[in-house]
Amino acid sequence: MTREKRTFGRWWTAVLLLALVAGILIVVSHDFMSMRVDPPIYPGSGVTEIRALSDYFGGIAGTAADTDVYILQGDEPGGTALVLGGTHPNEPAASITAIVLVENARVERGRLIVIPRANRSAFTCTEPQEGYPQTYTIETPTGVREFRYGSRGTNPIDQWPDPVIYINAAGQPLAGAEVRNLNRSYPGDPDGNLTERLAYAIVELIRAEDVNIAVDLHEASPEYPVINAIVAHEDALSIAAEAALFLELVGVQIGVERSPENLRGLSHREWGDATDTLALLVEAPNAAQGRLRGRTDVDLIVQGADPYYVRAAERGLLYVPFSAEGHPLDERVGRHLQTVAMLLEVYNSYSDEAIVVSNVPTLASMLDEGLGTYLAPPADGAS
Amino acid sequence: MTIVYQVITACVIGLVGWNLFRERRLTEQMTAVLVLLPLLLRVLMIK
Repeated sequence: MTREKRTFGRWWTAVLLLALVAGILIVVSHDFMSMRVDPPIYPGSGVTEIRALSDYFGGIAGTAADTDVYILQGDEPGGTALVLGGTHPNEPAASITAIVLVENARVERGRLIVIPRANRSAFTCTEPQEGYPQTYTIETPTGVREFRYGSRGTNPIDQWPDPVIYINAAGQPLAGAEVRNLNRSYPGDPDGNLTERLAYAIVELIRAEDVNIAVDLHEASPEYPVINAIVAHEDALSIAAEAALFLELVGVQIGVERSPENLRGLSHREWGDATDTLALLVEAPNAAQGRLRGRTDVDLIVQGADPYYVRAAERGLLYVPFSAEGHPLDERVGRHLQTVAMLLEVYNSYSDEAIVVSNVPTLASMLDEGLGTYLAPPADGAS
Repeated sequence: MTIVYQVITACVIGLVGWNLFRERRLTEQMTAVLVLLPLLLRVLMIK
């Protein structure tokens, strides 16, 4: 017995369905395209110039990788420091720390260069299958600031396809997806893919501006061994060790790791090898990145509390203490700020080219007053 | 490489669209438009 075919479909049902698809396309496109709009940063009185990274290497001009470079020039001559946030936009404390510096810091001597969105393309997407929110918000005294939670790597829309094995410009073989990871692409390649050209532009900036000390800010999952740590190129190891000692004295527990010589392509290795800068990388604990996390939402990103990590800590599986209070963004940003300030202080004690930066919030002030206190109010009252 | 990807995607969109108008079963037409949606997002380089 043959079953009779249903024939409800006609040309006009196809047209109707196409119209429905067009409507859905417009709605979702608006959502996806809005991720390509940079949330505003409000430069403070310390910012003397804003440049584009493509000023240092034209190979990224007009691409999604080009990003703002904030320069804070002091009145007195001195050295130059670079602080990089947003290498991995799924590590929000790094980018927010850089934004707090841009909006608050003042330089009395020398120069501070800040890049809050180092891999700008990676802010325009999230990791597939991770369930991350596209944005998170922080309350300031006069309104709410919205920030983008991004991906570890360059948006595949901007760089595609990934190879099976990626061998970076330094000759290090890596998993294919790492081809979009800025912190595996140093020292970069002027003729390479977008991420390699971005890495090259940052190295060119370090060379062109004679950067004396460069700090790459990051976060890591609580089960990752290199956490609450400063990773230092051997040239910067003594500064990192001394800074860690002084940080311990003010209640910031932090370890020091030597940059491995056989793991190539990372900032703390390649910046130090390719330029004269003192290369450092700083890590803080971010539960939202971890594999053991539970519900993944804005609260996890901002409050940093997760019951599964508390249980993991009780079983001794983590490399950082993890209580029910978790590690909120206020604490993680405060740690980064205090670490950067201490690294500069120690650097100044050994260098004739000092870099004196004031108005940098401490960890204690972040915990007391909250991160929102140190962010400029949104221009529209409620971003 | 991206242009090759877009051409392939555009071809698949054309074939699915052709099928959509030839198909006489409503459920199959609905399946076709569901397939079209991500393909259109891809070919327009939106997502």
